[in-house]
Amino acid sequence: MTAKDTFKTIDELAQALQGVGYFAERRLITAVFLSLKLERPLLLEGEPGVGKTELAKALAKILGRPLIRLQCYDGMEQREALYEWNHAAQLLHMRAAASQTGSGASPQDIEREVYQKRFLVKRPLLEALQTPAPGALLLIDEVDRADEPFEAFLLEYLGEYQVSIPELGTLQAEVAPVTILTSNRTRDLNDAVKRRCLYQWMDYPDRERELAVVRSQVPEASAQLTEQVAQFVGRLRSQPFSSAFQRAPGIAESVEWAKALVALNTLTLDPEVVQDTVGILFKQREDVAAITPLLHDLLAPAPITSL
Amino acid sequence: MLLGDARSGKLGDNITGFARALRRAGLPIDASRISLAIEATGLVGIERKEDLSAALKACLVSRQEDQMVFDQMFAALFKDPELTRQLLSQLLPQMPTAKPGVPRKSRVQEALAGKNKQNDPGKSKEDEMKFDAAMSASDKQRLQQADFQSLSASEFRLVEKLARQVKLPLPQIKGRRTRTGGRGERIHWAKTMQMAARQDGDILSLPRMQRKPQALPLLILVDISGSMERYARLLLAFLHQATRESPRQIFAFGTDLTDLNQAFKLRDTDDMLTQANRQIQDFAGGTQLGKSIAHLRVHFAKKLTGRRTVVLLISDGLDTGTAETLDSELVWLKRHTRSLLWLNPLLRFEGYAPIATGASVLNRHVNGMLAIHNLARLEELASALNTLLKIK
Repeated sequence: MTAKDTFKTIDELAQALQGVGYFAERRLITAVFLSLKLERPLLLEGEPGVGKTELAKALAKILGRPLIRLQCYDGMEQREALYEWNHAAQLLHMRAAASQTGSGASPQDIEREVYQKRFLVKRPLLEALQTPAPGALLLIDEVDRADEPFEAFLLEYLGEYQVSIPELGTLQAEVAPVTILTSNRTRDLNDAVKRRCLYQWMDYPDRERELAVVRSQVPEASAQLTEQVAQFVGRLRSQPFSSAFQRAPGIAESVEWAKALVALNTLTLDPEVVQDTVGILFKQREDVAAITPLLHDLLAPAPITSL
Repeated sequence: MLLGDARSGKLGDNITGFARALRRAGLPIDASRISLAIEATGLVGIERKEDLSAALKACLVSRQEDQMVFDQMFAALFKDPELTRQLLSQLLPQMPTAKPGVPRKSRVQEALAGKNKQNDPGKSKEDEMKFDAAMSASDKQRLQQADFQSLSASEFRLVEKLARQVKLPLPQIKGRRTRTGGRGERIHWAKTMQMAARQDGDILSLPRMQRKPQALPLLILVDISGSMERYARLLLAFLHQATRESPRQIFAFGTDLTDLNQAFKLRDTDDMLTQANRQIQDFAGGTQLGKSIAHLRVHFAKKLTGRRTVVLLISDGLDTGTAETLDSELVWLKRHTRSLLWLNPLLRFEGYAPIATGASVLNRHVNGMLAIHNLARLEELASALNTLLKIK
């Protein structure tokens, strides 16, 4: 069964995702559903820590596909993402062949000898293409970290699920891999890449979703504490508080924070505890400093602004 | 009423009309996206409005900033089905090229109204010889709104000529990307094999992987306060043309920060100026550099990844904010960038020293400062930028 037919409806997909602990908005699930049905790559953009990479992992689980991850970085080259020839093996093979046959071999023969599939080192993209059924789930993580020329290498893969190797020809996907791209938007991606993908902007979760995530990830936290964590983090992300910080904490941070609070045997939040653990929520010195004067308002029992 | 098949019936037409309306509002949507959207609609069905919206959004929107346009347009169409019919009647091949960056609501409004708001081509550049190229006639009057609608023909030629002649030494480093070359630390085995295969399997030379030069990203901060008014317009025009090859971020600051990146993406310098003009609200006001950098820190810090950005600050340093704010913000800026260069074009006299509070704080932090006396002409500004970038 291909990924296309695994889930008949959006609800089915949502349930499956919840089953592995991924709680998503219906909007996002609709996009995932379409990307499976239409066999299109899905580009996820959003702030760090909103669950982009987690979605790929959860999806791999429910589809029963191996997750192949390509972590992008600056200066990434084709040979690190697509394929590379095993040059050492090629050299040895060439020497061995030459000593056996003498110097009778023509250049074409040598070339054919040396550029065989067995000397091809598969990198993530090629590996994803050649994964036998049920196929792979390819996560191209943080595409925005790679430079613009690199995006051009991706185009053929994203558009046709194939890779052209000059010496061998075109290698087509056996089963179209489910492909997820993520970007933190440190720069804008090229339109050519976006055209080939379905797009989804991922926002910070609403309170209910955050609660569900924290509950399922940190079941040992008391209900009261979980509520408080979700409310506190929700307030941090909304006005008027959010403008005081460079980077609001994501879901990943809320979960980490809840875990830390449980480890410290916290039953309810108070300014002191928040002060001691604020390093988990914020990673910038300026942000850590900015929270102190706001603590009183942030911990006020009734919502100050409608959240 | 029976609902038609998404691929053949009325729904397909409706989606096409909707997508084209979005395109008029400036979203990059081509025919393949539209057919994808129609296919997607068939898959999710039209029973639930939110599913339909999500499906269309996934197919038709590809930028975060376009989301709101989409939502408003979608809501408008759902509220008033009559609009859809109107949109369909507008399916004529007269597509005005919508410009990105115009405030959202008016964009949607305009697109829905189908207004064809094009630049008036009747006005020729020759007519607007209000300013002479030497930047000397412009400070007779202090205007609250920036008056740089478009360049006069002579200015346009000057800016173009200067961008060609004064090649700014845009900062570069050795990148991580490589090419085949004679020098370099690593051997280019792939190339070696290719060459060997052509030489009967003999390796005659060992080509190397040489690191390609890579342009460092620039962050340009241009002061548009009253004291800088004379320079801002032509300076922006010059920078727009001269820094094309580097990845760049550009912000104007006065009392607050204005993001000019959308404007700078436009290819045409006149279009850029028109849009910048529309965006800048605090033209010819005071300078609050500290506050502006704080704004940069909170909203755009992410763009300064890797600590490799070269900051080009063009300001007279007459800061009206507090010295403490400026100091702490500059410390932050320096920590997140490679170098901070300051071009100071205020000075009318030779014995200048940066002693005004703001200027002295700035002077303490910058990696390089260049003060130019009697800067009356763009030529000098361009060559000053050139000199400054060499300091790096």
